[in-house]
Amino acid sequence: MTDLEHRVRGVDHVAYPTFDPAGTVAFYRDTLGFPVVHSICAAGWGPEKHPDFIHFFFDIGNDDRLAFFYYFGTSPYSAGPKGDVYARFGEDVPEWFVRSRHLAIHVDSEEALLEYRRRLDGSAWPVEMQIQHETIESIYTHDPNGYMIEVTRAMRPVTPQEDLDANLTIDALLDVVAGDDVSMGALLARKAELIVERAPGWSAEHEPIQPSHA
Amino acid sequence: MAPHRIGLVVPSSNVTVETEMPALLARHPAAEFSFHSSRMRMHTVSPEQLRAMNAQRERCILELGDAGVDALLYACLVAVMVGGPGEHRRVESAVAEQLAAGGSATKIRSSAGALVEGLHALGARRIALVTPYMRPLAQQVVSYLDSEGFTVSDWGALEVADNAEVGCIPGDRVMAAARELDLTGVDALVISACVQMPSLPLVDAAEQEFGLPVISAATAGAYSLLTALGLPVDIPGAGSLLCPAVRQPA
Amino acid sequence: MTTLYVLDVPENKPVAEVAGRDPSVAVDSVGPYFAIVAAGPIVIDRRATGCRHAVWYSSVAGVSGGRITQHDKDALRVEPT
Repeated sequence: MTDLEHRVRGVDHVAYPTFDPAGTVAFYRDTLGFPVVHSICAAGWGPEKHPDFIHFFFDIGNDDRLAFFYYFGTSPYSAGPKGDVYARFGEDVPEWFVRSRHLAIHVDSEEALLEYRRRLDGSAWPVEMQIQHETIESIYTHDPNGYMIEVTRAMRPVTPQEDLDANLTIDALLDVVAGDDVSMGALLARKAELIVERAPGWSAEHEPIQPSHA
Repeated sequence: MAPHRIGLVVPSSNVTVETEMPALLARHPAAEFSFHSSRMRMHTVSPEQLRAMNAQRERCILELGDAGVDALLYACLVAVMVGGPGEHRRVESAVAEQLAAGGSATKIRSSAGALVEGLHALGARRIALVTPYMRPLAQQVVSYLDSEGFTVSDWGALEVADNAEVGCIPGDRVMAAARELDLTGVDALVISACVQMPSLPLVDAAEQEFGLPVISAATAGAYSLLTALGLPVDIPGAGSLLCPAVRQPA
Repeated sequence: MTTLYVLDVPENKPVAEVAGRDPSVAVDSVGPYFAIVAAGPIVIDRRATGCRHAVWYSSVAGVSGGRITQHDKDALRVEPT
């Protein structure tokens, strides 16, 4: 565990390039209703010369922001049948990998999730998938740049024992990737050892919470 | 060594900044400077025109960024102060962000921020000022300095609305206005809280006459630029802020 | 002995409950984990648990003294090593 004081305050911005500012604004501002909260009009003056650009920001809640760079006079650099405007992949790259990188935005209730579903379904970017299980419910689509966007709600609060479990997983993973047998089987075996070692002591300090379903 | 490039963002009708700043910095014993300005169109010093002027900021910064200036002075003092308390910090941040986003290492200062910085450097709390503005604008300048923690014990407004005219106000008129101020208990006099009203020749004379530190928006600007560039502050004949050896205690 | 660990959170409870129906399987706890213990194989029928796929496939926290030989839409099977 760490004794480092945790002083960060979430996402100042996560930034992506776009070649289609009109589509990007139509999606985030006009369809999802995320307000434009900031913009910078700049050129490339540093050691690495680059084109004039606009850097613009949408609020995604909690003062967190999603930002885009639009570089004047540029076109996509990657090519390939799969991916988004930032990274494109060949036919042989598995879909699960292509879809692994995505931004998931949180909402607090089923009503809110359904409202965003409604906004997307009425647009050129309808919900492609809705997944629900006992802990989360999510809707997924791709924005005009091909970036996958998820809107998700928690169906029950996270419990402290899940925090413990997550940390045991990471500790087991670090041990396993440093060893010879790097596999899920090895991870589960190592994690079992850590459970025996650390879980009883954890219980002595915590009362596990059994939340009711949302 | 190559001259330090100074960028100046000035109201379009302003001729004084581009006169006084080079004159001041030319007196520096060691460093050399070149000046490059960009203009924001403005003729009448009214709140509406000042707000419209501020909207041109992005273009001006793009232009000066292309010149690769080492430091940039946003020399539109009252235009910043009409934006309300703390506005110079917001403007300086926005300009810095615009330049930094493009990879520029330019140092950013503003005349409004420089005035505050210069007064703090003198250790001044209680101040008096002469302004060329109409009274409501002058009051906004006073309120701004108030919000920065200074006590403005007396102030004058020459009530000249046309910015070109402000650039021609004779020194006698400025000194006369200064003499009418009650300087009891004042730590420092701002002989010109305006970057268009000429005042450079008056600063030293006013210090001698009134026996207290005197600064102008211009001398404060020079102080701020020199410290931003990490250069020694040593400019003779323009008041004790710029010449620490002769600085009188506040 | 083979031990299967499952975190004690609401959606996992049916896994432990179904496992425990087998008389040769004991369900203990270690901290906030169910410890499902048997001398022989542990077999849990997915449909009997009622768990949806996402929960089913992420319900295993740890395995000691055994290895998973089946984990699909039908069952989870842990064999002793």
